[in-house]
Amino acid sequence: MSDDPVWRRIAWRNLGRHRGRTLITASALAFGYLAAVLMVGLMDGMNAELIENGTGLMVGQVQVHAADYLPERNMHRTIGGYEGIDLAGFLRRLESDPDIVAAAPRLYGGGLVSSGDQTLGGVLFGVDVRREGEVTTLLSTLREGRAPRAGAFEVAMGSEMARQLDVKVGDQVVLVAAAADGSMGNDLFTLAGVFSTGTPALDASHVLVPLPDLQYLLAMDPGRVHEVALTTTRPWDTPVIAASVERSLSAFGPPLRVRPWTELRPELAESVELMGSMNWVIIVIVFAMAIFGVANTMIIGTFERRKEFAVVRALGTTPLGVGKTVVYEGIFLGVLALAAGAVVTGPVLVWWHNRPPDLSGIVGGFAWSGSMWRPILRVEYSWDTPIVAAVALFVTSVLAAVYPAWKATRVPPADALAD
Amino acid sequence: MNDTISTPPAVRTEDLWKVYPQEPEPVEAVKSLDLIVEPGDFVAMAGPSGSGKTTVLNLLGGLTRPTRGRIWIDGEEVSDMRDRDLARLRLERIGFVFQAYNLLPVLTALENAEFTLLLRGTPAEERHRRVMDLFREMGLDGLEDRRPGRLSGGQQQRVAVARAVAGDPALVLADEPTANLDTATSAALLDVMERLNRERGTTFVFSTHDPRVMERARRLIHLVDGEIESDVRRDAGAVAP
Ligand SMILES: Nc1ncnc2c1ncn2[C@@H]1O[C@H](COP(=O)(O)OP(=O)(O)OP(=O)(O)O)[C@@H](O)[C@H]1O
Ligand SMILES: [Mg+2]
Repeated sequence: MSDDPVWRRIAWRNLGRHRGRTLITASALAFGYLAAVLMVGLMDGMNAELIENGTGLMVGQVQVHAADYLPERNMHRTIGGYEGIDLAGFLRRLESDPDIVAAAPRLYGGGLVSSGDQTLGGVLFGVDVRREGEVTTLLSTLREGRAPRAGAFEVAMGSEMARQLDVKVGDQVVLVAAAADGSMGNDLFTLAGVFSTGTPALDASHVLVPLPDLQYLLAMDPGRVHEVALTTTRPWDTPVIAASVERSLSAFGPPLRVRPWTELRPELAESVELMGSMNWVIIVIVFAMAIFGVANTMIIGTFERRKEFAVVRALGTTPLGVGKTVVYEGIFLGVLALAAGAVVTGPVLVWWHNRPPDLSGIVGGFAWSGSMWRPILRVEYSWDTPIVAAVALFVTSVLAAVYPAWKATRVPPADALAD
Repeated sequence: MNDTISTPPAVRTEDLWKVYPQEPEPVEAVKSLDLIVEPGDFVAMAGPSGSGKTTVLNLLGGLTRPTRGRIWIDGEEVSDMRDRDLARLRLERIGFVFQAYNLLPVLTALENAEFTLLLRGTPAEERHRRVMDLFREMGLDGLEDRRPGRLSGGQQQRVAVARAVAGDPALVLADEPTANLDTATSAALLDVMERLNRERGTTFVFSTHDPRVMERARRLIHLVDGEIESDVRRDAGAVAP
């Protein structure tokens, strides 16, 4: 409307009328902004930790399989079917996606592990040792010895399995497995290392075999793998990334399924989602607290100006015009607070992200939702939090103005002539 | 029902009542007021405190609703108007001057004087021209950019008068406009109002306690207990220098 500039001008200057009051109110809002963004960032940081710890050991963030591989895990259903694939080319293709940091191929086999008169059933886990290290932390849990070398018929196994078989690094074990051609593959391997993940099921059952050696044992071509695990740039965005990877692979030929960890570890995904909803709770609480402070200040401000409202009403302003100037005041206050909040929040966020305080010395780690959690107060950035918090701040300052604005429209114009 | 061809009266009331519901008994602030003010008149309302001067001005300006009776401003009946239309009527046809000046403290003198023109959406150039003309006429030039806090009472009230007349209203209502001013400043303000009345034909109705101000009016109405006690034309006196 044509009279809007007048009301904006009056609103803006009114903020300047009580500089101290405006400063304090805007600071409170700006501080609320800082608190909301930081707290949500902390939650995101905890989430990222949860995801990393829950997926880092074995699962990886995203897995690629032949479409029919899961859930049966039939050994014949390798990526690309019986023919297999050009593995190096496939991995290169995956890694060319800017969202993908690393890709690690895997082959699974069920078999027996024996030493002397001890025999145990186990999972034969065929990996590209170098690539696996870029996708999971499994190899970093080696407690004795070293990682097995490809072509040398070496393996690493879990500490519990080694204990039950009564073997140590340097000993020989026999692996027996049903091979793809229907025969029984068996070979002698040297125990190169023993890992201890802290997850009993893994430590008692998994035998880590270099990929080519396992392929040889299972009578499979070098192009055959069951799984490629991926690390992405944004662990919390893996569903989106997985979907886009799956789309980009649709022209690949044989049908593939690309699953994010959220599908592979649904229980972890659930607790992450729970924490995500906490973000909203935080923002709502912070700004709900702010809204009363701001509204209070604005009510005082408008009460002091009752006479002015009556005067402009007497001069011919509609109640709407009077209300508008108060709402504009809220809007300008929000803009000021947002500017201040952004200026303060930016550096704090960067600093905290890069130098997160480590409370391990005080609290120690603990298990949560099946994964280890390190008490590092790390703050994640995201684009949406500052924007959502900005919108919340803005809505807060406008909402805080609504009641005072309504009060202002109620001032009877006849008050202008009263002393 | 108005059968005259000439311009309608600036103000006309018919059996106008204002009763404030008050304990222990209601206050009859205005009782059966019949009043006609011709366009271009310069009318003072006098009367003891509580006689109903402010209430009459409130009623004429549409700031309060009559308990009974009818009001026409510039030929248009306002007693049954909706609030929105009343606001518009005030914006376009009525100017107000208050005892306590009541300029908006965050606006400059110029912006205050322009206020109703701003609300009306008058183009900046015309706004500026009109108000600058007024400022020159009223001896306010040079003070355009001052905030009210840095103006004297007399200057503020002159800016308030400029604000009231800038939009060329049919009627300017002023409630004790000189009550906060000293004698000399009061006289100067009256000079300004008189000149606007003479040169622009602006109709003024103002209340006052000050006999020196009453003397300057062309018509003097005495209110007592909400009723007109006397209504005297004194054209000769007002025109004299
Ligand atoms: N809002 C109100 N509620 C109740 N009574 C009122 C109200 N406004 C005015 N009155 C009463 O109406 C009567 C007329 O008051 P009004 O203010 O019009 O007198 P006035 O002539 O302007 O007096 P003064 O010279 O002191 O300004 C008084 O008795 C007053 O107490
Ligand atoms: Mg009065």
